[in-house]
Amino acid sequence: MSSPDIFYVEDDEDFAFIMEHAVKEVKDDLSVKIIDNGKDALELLRLLTEAKVKPKLILLDLNLPGLSGLDLVKRIREIAFLKYVPVVFFSTSDNPKDAKASLEFGANAYLTKPSGYLNLVSCVQSLYNFWFTQNLSIN
Amino acid sequence: MDFKVDLTNCDREPIHIPGKIQSHGFLVAVNSKTYVISYISKNIEQYVDVIAQDMLGKPITELERYLELADDSTHLTQLLNLAKASKTDDVINPLAINVKGAGYNLILSKSNDELIMEFETTDSDLDLDVQKSIGRSVAEILSGKTLGILLQNAAAEVKKIINYDRVMIYKFNEDGHGEVVAEVKNDDLEPFFGLHYPASDIPKQARELYKINLTRIIADVDSESSPIITYQEGTPLDLTHSALRAVSPIHIQYLKNMGVGSSFSISLIAHGELWGLVACHNYSPRFIDYKARDASKLIGQILSSALEYRQDEEDSEKTTALNEAVNTIADYIKKDTDIAFALIKNKVTIQDVTTADGVALIFDDEINTLGNTPDIDQIKHIVEWLKVNMIDGIYYTYRFPEIFPAAKEYTDVASGIMACMLSKELGEMVIWFKPEQIKSITWAGNPEKPVEEDANGLMQLSPRKSFDSWNQIVKNTSEKWKNDELAAVVKIREDIIYAINRKANEIRLLNERLQVAYEELDTFSYTISHDLRTPLSSIKNYSELLLSTNKSLDDSAKKMIERIIKGTDKMSMLIKEILHYSRVGRTDIELVPINMTALVTEIKREVTAALNVPNLEFTIGDTPVINGDAVMITQVFTNLLNNAVKYSSKSQPARVKIEGKISNGEVVYSVSDNGVGIDVNYYNRVFELFKRMDNAMDYEGTGVGLAIVKRIVERHKGRIWFESKLGVGTIFYVSFKN
Repeated sequence: MSSPDIFYVEDDEDFAFIMEHAVKEVKDDLSVKIIDNGKDALELLRLLTEAKVKPKLILLDLNLPGLSGLDLVKRIREIAFLKYVPVVFFSTSDNPKDAKASLEFGANAYLTKPSGYLNLVSCVQSLYNFWFTQNLSIN
Repeated sequence: MDFKVDLTNCDREPIHIPGKIQSHGFLVAVNSKTYVISYISKNIEQYVDVIAQDMLGKPITELERYLELADDSTHLTQLLNLAKASKTDDVINPLAINVKGAGYNLILSKSNDELIMEFETTDSDLDLDVQKSIGRSVAEILSGKTLGILLQNAAAEVKKIINYDRVMIYKFNEDGHGEVVAEVKNDDLEPFFGLHYPASDIPKQARELYKINLTRIIADVDSESSPIITYQEGTPLDLTHSALRAVSPIHIQYLKNMGVGSSFSISLIAHGELWGLVACHNYSPRFIDYKARDASKLIGQILSSALEYRQDEEDSEKTTALNEAVNTIADYIKKDTDIAFALIKNKVTIQDVTTADGVALIFDDEINTLGNTPDIDQIKHIVEWLKVNMIDGIYYTYRFPEIFPAAKEYTDVASGIMACMLSKELGEMVIWFKPEQIKSITWAGNPEKPVEEDANGLMQLSPRKSFDSWNQIVKNTSEKWKNDELAAVVKIREDIIYAINRKANEIRLLNERLQVAYEELDTFSYTISHDLRTPLSSIKNYSELLLSTNKSLDDSAKKMIERIIKGTDKMSMLIKEILHYSRVGRTDIELVPINMTALVTEIKREVTAALNVPNLEFTIGDTPVINGDAVMITQVFTNLLNNAVKYSSKSQPARVKIEGKISNGEVVYSVSDNGVGIDVNYYNRVFELFKRMDNAMDYEGTGVGLAIVKRIVERHKGRIWFESKLGVGTIFYVSFKN
């Protein structure tokens, strides 16, 4: 069993689809796994942990069916193996309170979903730059 | 008897033991056990050939020899026995006898250890057989339907029977002063009807005697009274029950000053108290005999019992009238939501629940008055005083100026007040006003007239004189508040307070419903706009994806897709702002001191970067600290400064200035520009959601910004306003509590 580079939990299939495109546009060989609910996501992460593999970046939507993004990040942080995997929230909300809560629950960053595909590409680009090239040591 | 009577002590004059009798008859008193003559009036000498002094100590039989009683069988001893045995004097009196060939009425009465014999001539100034006309008169009197007519009839009938120049019915009021309530008189006389007389005119002990002697005659004020001599010096004869009892010199003077020659009075008693008098005046001496007086007494007694009934009836009618007013007004306030209107604008007003001359309603930040009241400033002053000094819901006094000295300025309208508190916190109340009695009553004797001196240089004793002392007593007082007035006010107060509470409750319920609706609307707009965002971003995302990945699109298709993207941008901007707007209502605010210098500088940087206006002169003045929610305050100034820069962007140069000032515990910020300005016709819509001015159409915007600003400022309990002139510029002001 191998792990995807980016583990993305998103119930909006349109945004998930766009995201897949954006990631490919940033770097063609990056692998993305999209899960559409919190419960399945947690299940899969546990399987990956058993197989001793982990994603390089976890992206979470805030509002998820099954298990909310905040609950999910809390559970992830409880798994020792995944303790230092960067978790970044990716949400429609620009409410500072949501951002604050996500950081308190253990996320590394909170991003408001950018408007449009082009902005998304730049956003993913900067994420890639930061978490995949500059902070290699984390993984 | 050493008592020297004058005006200051006439209420203590022992008028039942004057030691004298009137001279139209003579008096002999015997010891009731021995029938020895113990007292005798000096004037017996004018009627019988005896020396009064010689008769003292003699048995009555001795005197009897001189009386030359016509009927030999009549013996005074027998009559005295009879008087002793009878329970009341009325039964036997009068006894017709002949003394030296002249007709006399012998009137017997008891006085402590003595039996009194009074010999009164039957030689009456009245020829009529009084008793015959009584029956018809009584029927006439009682035909009166109202108390007023009853009294007027009574006066007329009494005058018809005993024929005095003037017959008045005089009524005692609760405080003792009297009023002429009915009058029949000879045409040439000045009317006394409606006049009031001070209580001191008829002193207390005189009133007591009126209750015992139901009639009283003063036959001739000019005749000299005759002294009673006795061998029991120091024990004056009690003349309480005497018919001939001499009159107090002060009363004689009083009558003389009124020009009265003789007077006759009949007591009117209701509920065991002296209700009033039938007062008869003659301007020359006049004597009516015992029988005529007795007949008059009967009229008085019949009238008294009628009075009792009628007075009760009229009192209850007055009470009923007040109660009806209460009920009518209670009905008004039930139906009318405008309480003040219900209380004062209808036919029946709040004034009618008492007999007050005026009323003030202090309610809903307004003072409304009806009738005679102090002026508005004076009322305000009274209200302040009442707010502090009223302990209960109702306060009343008939001598307000004595308690609240400021009221001495307007005793003519407010010597008496009745106040009923509606809300102590708000100072809402009703106040009824009664005028000073002196002003409301026509007093006998003109109070303005100086004291008169008579020919001898002595002060005249007259009603006017006694008025002075009365004046001191009633000064600053009104007619008293009656129990039924108080009861009516208590009742109407409950009704008004109930109505106020009901109204307040209705408003509170409305407020709560409004609050709920408001919150629902906020939640609704938040949810709607939030849910709109997702599909909208999909549209944009796909459009952009299509544009960047599909190489087969021609230029026209690309342009169309770009238009789609623009549309979604505009729409998401709008949604974002609505979200902000609703968030202002939904979020709890936490006040913290905000470093405005940093905040304004940051906003300036953002705004100038975003709008990129050339020739912009952006000035930052003083920036005092504001206590507020940091995020929201940022929104306020971002919006205001953004607008200022945006709408002045076409001015050369564009001038925008922001500065704050501290004044009166407020921080007031102004944001001014030299931009397009606001049309005066739009002034009241500037802060409305989605409202954009005609001249703003050339500038980007959603019409939400100022609505958000206003909402934030109001949530901070601050104020926002502006000054503007088309083509010149606009200044927005926001103030926050310091």
